[in-house]
Amino acid sequence: MQNSNFSSMEKVNFRTRILTNHLNQETPSPHFSLQTTPCLSYNPPELSEPSSIFDKKQMRQLMDGHNLTEKDWLFGLMLQSNLFNPMKSGGKVFVQPDYNQSKEQQREITMRRIGYLLEHGVFKKWLTGNGPVDELRKLALLECLAIFDHSLAIKTGVHFFLWGGAIQFFGTKRHHDKWLKATEEYVVKGCFAMTELGHGSNVRGIETVTTYDSSTGEFVITTPCESAQKYWIGGAANHATHTVVFSQLIIEGKNQGVHAFICQIRDENGDICPNIRIADCGHKIGLNGVDNGRIWFDNVRVPRENLLNSVADVSPDGKYLTAIKDPDQRFAAFLAPLTSGRVTIAVSAIYSAKVGLATAIRYSLTRRAFSVTPNGPEILLLDYPSHQRRLLPLLAKTYAMSFAVNYLKKIYVNRTPEMNKVIHVVSSAFKAIASWHNMRTLQECREACGGQGLKTENRVGPLKGEFDVQSTFEGDNNVLMQQVSKALFGEYVAAKRSKKPIKGLGLEHMNASRPIVPSQLTSHTMRQAQFQNDIFCLRERDLLERFAAEVALCQAQGKSKEYAFTLNYQLAEDLGRAYSDRAVLHTFLEAEASVTSASLKNVLDLVRSMYTLVTLEEDAAFLRYGYLSTDNAAMVRKEVANLCGELRPHALSLVSSFGLPDAFLGPIAFNWVEANAWSSEQN
Amino acid sequence: MRTTMAQTSSNNGGINQVLVEGTGNVRTFILNRSKQLNALSFQMGRGRAFCAGGDLSLVFSHQSNWKIGANYFQKQYTLNYVMATYSKPQVSILNGIVMGGGAGVSIHGRFRVATEKSVFAMPETALGLFPDVGASYYLSRLPGFFGEYAGLTGSRLDGAEMLACGLATHFVSSDKLPPLEQALVKVNTSDPDAISAIISHFSHIPKLKDESPYHKMKIINRCFSRRTIEEIISTLESEALDTKGDWISSTIQSLKKSSPISLKISLRSIREGRLQDVGNCLVHEYRMVCHVLRAEFSKDLFEGCRAILVDKDKNPKWEPSRLELISDDDVDRYFSKIDDENWEDLKLPPRSNLPPYAIAKL
Repeated sequence: MQNSNFSSMEKVNFRTRILTNHLNQETPSPHFSLQTTPCLSYNPPELSEPSSIFDKKQMRQLMDGHNLTEKDWLFGLMLQSNLFNPMKSGGKVFVQPDYNQSKEQQREITMRRIGYLLEHGVFKKWLTGNGPVDELRKLALLECLAIFDHSLAIKTGVHFFLWGGAIQFFGTKRHHDKWLKATEEYVVKGCFAMTELGHGSNVRGIETVTTYDSSTGEFVITTPCESAQKYWIGGAANHATHTVVFSQLIIEGKNQGVHAFICQIRDENGDICPNIRIADCGHKIGLNGVDNGRIWFDNVRVPRENLLNSVADVSPDGKYLTAIKDPDQRFAAFLAPLTSGRVTIAVSAIYSAKVGLATAIRYSLTRRAFSVTPNGPEILLLDYPSHQRRLLPLLAKTYAMSFAVNYLKKIYVNRTPEMNKVIHVVSSAFKAIASWHNMRTLQECREACGGQGLKTENRVGPLKGEFDVQSTFEGDNNVLMQQVSKALFGEYVAAKRSKKPIKGLGLEHMNASRPIVPSQLTSHTMRQAQFQNDIFCLRERDLLERFAAEVALCQAQGKSKEYAFTLNYQLAEDLGRAYSDRAVLHTFLEAEASVTSASLKNVLDLVRSMYTLVTLEEDAAFLRYGYLSTDNAAMVRKEVANLCGELRPHALSLVSSFGLPDAFLGPIAFNWVEANAWSSEQN
Repeated sequence: MRTTMAQTSSNNGGINQVLVEGTGNVRTFILNRSKQLNALSFQMGRGRAFCAGGDLSLVFSHQSNWKIGANYFQKQYTLNYVMATYSKPQVSILNGIVMGGGAGVSIHGRFRVATEKSVFAMPETALGLFPDVGASYYLSRLPGFFGEYAGLTGSRLDGAEMLACGLATHFVSSDKLPPLEQALVKVNTSDPDAISAIISHFSHIPKLKDESPYHKMKIINRCFSRRTIEEIISTLESEALDTKGDWISSTIQSLKKSSPISLKISLRSIREGRLQDVGNCLVHEYRMVCHVLRAEFSKDLFEGCRAILVDKDKNPKWEPSRLELISDDDVDRYFSKIDDENWEDLKLPPRSNLPPYAIAKL
């Protein structure tokens, strides 16, 4: 007894001595403190987070969809070459472009990277292949290139999808034989001269003029005025040897509309050909690895065979020949194949959002700020409900749009001529919403990383500049969304006129009776797929009816249909959104139906509910047109907050299922303490 | 074989399979099954080998019960993981044969000292197995596609080549080993910089032999970067047409002699490993080895052991016999969970506060 008292007394004395030492300690030398008493240590989220309730490999398979081994092979190919700028940080290797290089250096290294990929067989069958299998492989590999660097993907995409695609789709056998293999092997480097200074989305208005000289059997291509100069032509400023020129074709004084011609612009030494003038588009806010240029044609002569003649031809004696008499239809047939660009944009936008989210969410699982109790430990960023609300809905939307773009790829590679309209509408809608979603996500992620988001090496910040262009190229997003609404209008009016049920574009729900939204929403109801589908369908059908009624009213007042569309832009915008959101939800439900694992299904249920409810919360149309009462809107908002808490434990597993190798994220996603340590600075 | 680290000792019939000496902060381990070239056993060197790998004869004798073999590999891979993530620096003195499992107990450590007697190889594809013990992690991190080359062909590398490609961190001639060991024991520290300085004091950079494959990096990169084994072989064959020398033909020969399924799963394993951390590499390798032991698709491991280790006729009859007979789906299956209620994935011991160098060392 005595003994034990004594010993506990001794313990107290001992502790007091230690504490006094602590308090009286002189400021330690910086060397000492950095070596032995780190203030904060990095805890890998893999160790601190609950282990995944679902199989991440299975989830990745569902999300990536196809060609996973090919993708991993290409990631590895990039990792193992110094051309991809590997750098060591915090004990890990990262690959990413060096944005500190001048635009000229970035263009050269991009071309050299393409050379490396070519040499290793990455582009095999990109143009000489055939069918959905080869096409999916091509899309999968392009996705990986975009994850490394958007410039690399765009430079490759222009060559294969635009130049190569134009030859494939607008050309005939003689063009295929001559150009496709040569393009696949980069014997020629192609570009795509459609946009002009004065005309972008409105391709039919371009001003370049081509005439035919029957005495020599040549076409003569001319840039008649400054606004007709070709603009933003990727590849034109430095590397391309050939281009497809889009031009008005004038035959015997009659304008036959826009046609495409092959024209050489550089010789084998890389010197610009006679009668061609080329200038640079200059430094850009992103994509500086792509050499965008401007081209002027000064009566450039090309052989008659260079007309890409799948739709129309000119005979040697100068007669215009075509199977499609209606110039509108001819033009539509012409542009339909360009869908591939919108498909690849939509897909790569979602991968870019994944890079942002994987980075910001991993960081938020390791970075702490402020305590909620005096002297309590600081709180992990993602344990703040507000931080969850910023990132987790975007994560859910990214999941939803992943399924949407997978669906888009699927219908694209299995396309038939009858599906052209559907593919046009779906690709326009998904391209617009995916690229907008990416920009918004990147901005949120950049802010969620705080100052670290500013650092180029952490990737999120630069991606904003790199991917911004997606909202306007291959069709301005706003214009595309208007086209979606117009197409829906067309289907609706046609069905009304023929008194047949609506078929196609997923509008079949309009044939059934109007869905009824419960006047008092409960948590249980809101999480049901049935309710989620009903309210999205209700919004779409109501907006389509309103839009059709407004347009009809304008027409009754004597205004043209086109003018009526223009005046009703607000409804058109809301309708485009409504269609897109509903279409995305349908692809989500379809993907979920293919899942057999219960644990995967459970987490996907949560993600889908989050996607739907946050859309209800954010889109003012639900309140504006009364699909949600104010009481119900309040319930929805509350449920979003609940879902944030429920998704929080899955956050790490959900971003780990993205299939992004560590090396393609930035150091901030991993051990950022070590990456920024003084000792790392010394090596 | 010597490795300097923490303390265990095992005993087998009165003979210590691992000898442990210790003073102060330093522990010296000597693998002591020299007759078996220090093959790793449950119990566990000394002699002409550092460690010639896992003792597959154990596995061979338990063919009928794959779980005994699986249990052995589970322990081995766990040990590899502990070594790879160990916070104290391990110095492995690789003065002899370093193969398979022997690489697993050394290459993951912080310092690997090669000598003129070192012989490194991952010869598993010739045995119907695949480079395991975390090889999918360290081979995939060698320069370019040298890891695919070393892992698929089982090519033997000497000390100079080990240093050049990064498998070794230092090269010390064997006559300087006793003073090096003395110096390490004397300094009595776990500070990696101090240890590195000591080893550097005894080390030099040896000259690569003229015929070293390391001089063939261009060809290796061009061929071994291909997506599939078939493409690797056909690229090598077309390369052979315009390159003199027998290196390419012997490379092709060694690929053609190896088990086709081993080649395919090994390539996939290295490719997956390139994108994974060391823990996940060992987890996927454990799945693979369980599939190999269960022998549902192929019995090549047992055929390889029979032909090389037991009957020694060196003439294994692989089944499937040709690469074309193996689809991507067949390969996929080796990376899936085992369909058996009592089976579970490799459970790695929790390691708090992983030092960054424990995550990527090469």
